Amino acid sequence: MRFLGKTSIDFMGKRHLWYAVSATVIGLGMISLVVKGVNYGIDFLGGTEIVVRFADNVDVGDIRSAMDKNGFTKAEIKTFGSERDILIRTPEQEEGTVVGDRIRAALQAQFPKNPFIVQKEDKIGPKIGAELRRDAIYAVLASLVAILLYLGFRFKFLWAAGAVAALFHDVLLTLGLVSIFDGVIPHLNLEFNQTMVAAFLTLVGLSNNDTVVIFDRIRENQKLFRNMDLPTLINKSVNEVLSRTIITSGTVFVVLAVLLFFGGEVTRGFAFASLVGIVTGTYSSIYIASALVVEVVVRTRTQGKLID
Amino acid sequence: MRAYIYELGRTVLYPFHATDPRTFDLGGFFVKKYAGRLIIIAACVFLAVYELLPTWRDYQLRQDLGKLAGDDSLSYVTRHETELRDARARRIKLGLDLQGGMRVVLEVNVLKLIEDLAKNKDDTFNQIMKEVHAEARTSEESPVLLLRRKFEARGIRMSRYYRNLRDSNDDIYKFLDDESTKAIDRGMEIVRNRVDQYGVSEPSIQKLGGSRIIVELPGVTHETEVRQLLQGTALLEFKLLKEPDVTYRVAESIDKLLAASAKTDTALADSLFAGTASADSSKSDSTKADTQKISTPEGELSAEEFSRKHPFFSIVIFSQQFPGEGLVSEDNKEKVRRLLDREDVQKLIPNDMEFLWSAKSRILGEKGQEKKFFTLYPVKKTAELTGGVIVNAKWQIDPSYNKPIVTMEMNSEGSREWARITGANINKRIAIVLDNSVFSAPNVLTKITGGHSEIEGMESETEAKLLEIVLKAGALPAPVDIIEQRSVGPSLGEDSIRAGITSSLVAIALTVLFMAVYYRTGGLVADFALMFTVVFLLAILAAFAGTLTMPGIAGIILTLGVAVDANVLIYERIREETAGGKTPRAAIDAGYSKAFTAIFDSNLTTLLTGIILYQFGTGPVQGFALTLMIGIVVSLFSAIIITRVVFDMMVDRSGVAVNFG
Repeated sequence: MRFLGKTSIDFMGKRHLWYAVSATVIGLGMISLVVKGVNYGIDFLGGTEIVVRFADNVDVGDIRSAMDKNGFTKAEIKTFGSERDILIRTPEQEEGTVVGDRIRAALQAQFPKNPFIVQKEDKIGPKIGAELRRDAIYAVLASLVAILLYLGFRFKFLWAAGAVAALFHDVLLTLGLVSIFDGVIPHLNLEFNQTMVAAFLTLVGLSNNDTVVIFDRIRENQKLFRNMDLPTLINKSVNEVLSRTIITSGTVFVVLAVLLFFGGEVTRGFAFASLVGIVTGTYSSIYIASALVVEVVVRTRTQGKLID
Repeated sequence: MRAYIYELGRTVLYPFHATDPRTFDLGGFFVKKYAGRLIIIAACVFLAVYELLPTWRDYQLRQDLGKLAGDDSLSYVTRHETELRDARARRIKLGLDLQGGMRVVLEVNVLKLIEDLAKNKDDTFNQIMKEVHAEARTSEESPVLLLRRKFEARGIRMSRYYRNLRDSNDDIYKFLDDESTKAIDRGMEIVRNRVDQYGVSEPSIQKLGGSRIIVELPGVTHETEVRQLLQGTALLEFKLLKEPDVTYRVAESIDKLLAASAKTDTALADSLFAGTASADSSKSDSTKADTQKISTPEGELSAEEFSRKHPFFSIVIFSQQFPGEGLVSEDNKEKVRRLLDREDVQKLIPNDMEFLWSAKSRILGEKGQEKKFFTLYPVKKTAELTGGVIVNAKWQIDPSYNKPIVTMEMNSEGSREWARITGANINKRIAIVLDNSVFSAPNVLTKITGGHSEIEGMESETEAKLLEIVLKAGALPAPVDIIEQRSVGPSLGEDSIRAGITSSLVAIALTVLFMAVYYRTGGLVADFALMFTVVFLLAILAAFAGTLTMPGIAGIILTLGVAVDANVLIYERIREETAGGKTPRAAIDAGYSKAFTAIFDSNLTTLLTGIILYQFGTGPVQGFALTLMIGIVVSLFSAIIITRVVFDMMVDRSGVAVNFG
């Protein structure tokens, strides 16, 4: 079976149109990041988060009033997968686990006839929260350094720069979409927690994976067709690996979609970010990583060899 | 053709040709070209199955157990005790997010400790402490260092509040630093002791850095209870041991009661006698002889008869070697604990008496048959004295005997009491009890006046160190704060497992189906390799005692998607090469070799990401990084080595092209 025969799509010719698309989506994302921000999880915020499952459906408004009555005015309340699973998060810090106990008491008083069980309770002290934030930043920096080193070692500067630009593009775009879509679709809580950081690092790895495969083919073709101009050569290479790109990205996309729909609340945010990441990662290999090299090469009239 | 089978081990490679009869035998399986690779693959499969069997067994046992209730399940546990334990120790460990449970991070409150240690506290000191408190909230530096800086900034000597006036700031800094290190050891010991008593299966207690303790309690749901357990102040007591003859009388009546009840109560009989035969065969003869000498005037009895006649004495050994205390082997501890909790047994124990367990086990028995034994101490219920009176405790090596001893000092009020207690109980034993566990039960040799006591007879330095820690727990509590607590209820864990299994299965089904449809025979081979990938991944997780978490399952699902990438790269290449006019064999060769760099490169970066995540992540995220890393390595093995062998064999055998769709 074959989805695509031998294609000869002029990818590079339409690159300016796609720059505009990328810029628009990232721009919207940035606006959302500034206006709405990201929804930090308990890991990074610190405080107490408690998920309870009631016997019957409850009204979020009733829970809000129960929290307000007990002084948790800053509490964030939302459903967690169903109408009887409720997540309550408050930044309040107190000795030990007093906050959790008080929340439970408040819920018991408010819903005497609707018993609940505690599904999950997290208490993160201020120090731990700060440490987790620090570790997450270190992880992002470390993976950035590792990938830069790897790319710098592997390809010539111009190409490595293109690959890095593609990674930044993917991270910014996904971050923006995470901010935009959080809380918009029911049951899709895109909390920025440790698992989300893991998703971002993974998408960086996968996006880089795709770029490397395309670059690999460009390198090979540069040896074979020494006098072909770069845009044509890139078009040829991308067309050659297009089938592979679509199939691999497709399988990863499908399994992540499965995780998004069937994987439960815990990994939903992860699945969403990775899903966006796999699409933009595939796209950016062509329209950011390769296209940027073309821009420079066209302007400077150089050859743009991938390796010496 | 068959003759060539014997040449398997030889390294000679015959020039290969598809029609060369020398390369075939037994339908093509033992062709020497593949022998090495096939053996490696077979060995991997064998190891994988071996590693995964306990997980399967554990699952089965627990399924069975789930169907039973009450006494039935109890006797089932007794019957399958060792099997359950072995399977559980080697199965794939589930993270707390999947099996439910609590994770608590405790931090020793060094500030409070510093405050407790200070003398002559005045306004200046309180002011300094207030500032240190404020600074410690955000600072990464140790509170002791912060304290020292505050003192030095004001030009006040630390000796004004600590130790002797002559001591330099350096000395006191070192002293306080030392004390805070000791406080964490003390905190660890207190926590471990309480968790042991609480009876959680597979608890994990670890020290993290200089001042933290991580406690992980799978399956625990009584949060409030556990928090009190971990945070409450430690209680150190001195309790008098009961006279040996009183103890024997009580034990004898318990023994008689149990023997009589077992005749009518089948559940009790089951739990008492199930597995006796195996337990007895491992019991050393000398201990058996000991028990019989003490408690059976009716003469020699076989092990079986003995345990029926004396159910209590057969599991609690009262030996003359250790008068007045009972010995219980590790495997029987739970059983004895349950027996002692029975209402009818409780009635036989006098009101002012209770049985307490030793905190640590000791190894007894003849060489080659050593077993761990816990001691059951019969003590007077009301404590003679509580540990608040202890001012200091220290272990050292007694220079004259070259043996470890522990010295203990009490305040004046305690000393007066202590003199009265020791004076009245010469040649009796006093148990040192921390939170209801006995750490030592020394014999009183003389009346101790002046509050300065020496405890000797420790077997090792470790034991002496432990006793120092325990005694100090009475003198100076190790205040601990919960700085992180995460708990997952069992139902959320089950939901997660169910969601994880569903999504894994759907993901596998879709991937497998797609590959088979798109790449036909080639796809089926890739699917075959994918199955190996999953099995190997789980086996490696089990072998290295890795923990499977919910993000870890996400990592497995992601691996499924990424794993076929290597095959896709190869197959697309093979299609291209075939289209270019190469023979089937040449196309396969070219496909594998040309796709290799791309495969290697692209997986390398994902692997790097995994390593970094593992380094910086905690708990669940580490679980993700772990399955991702294992998944990459294993999928490369399956996609490159296993599929290659299959294709080589297919092409050789039929000589025609493999269908790559």
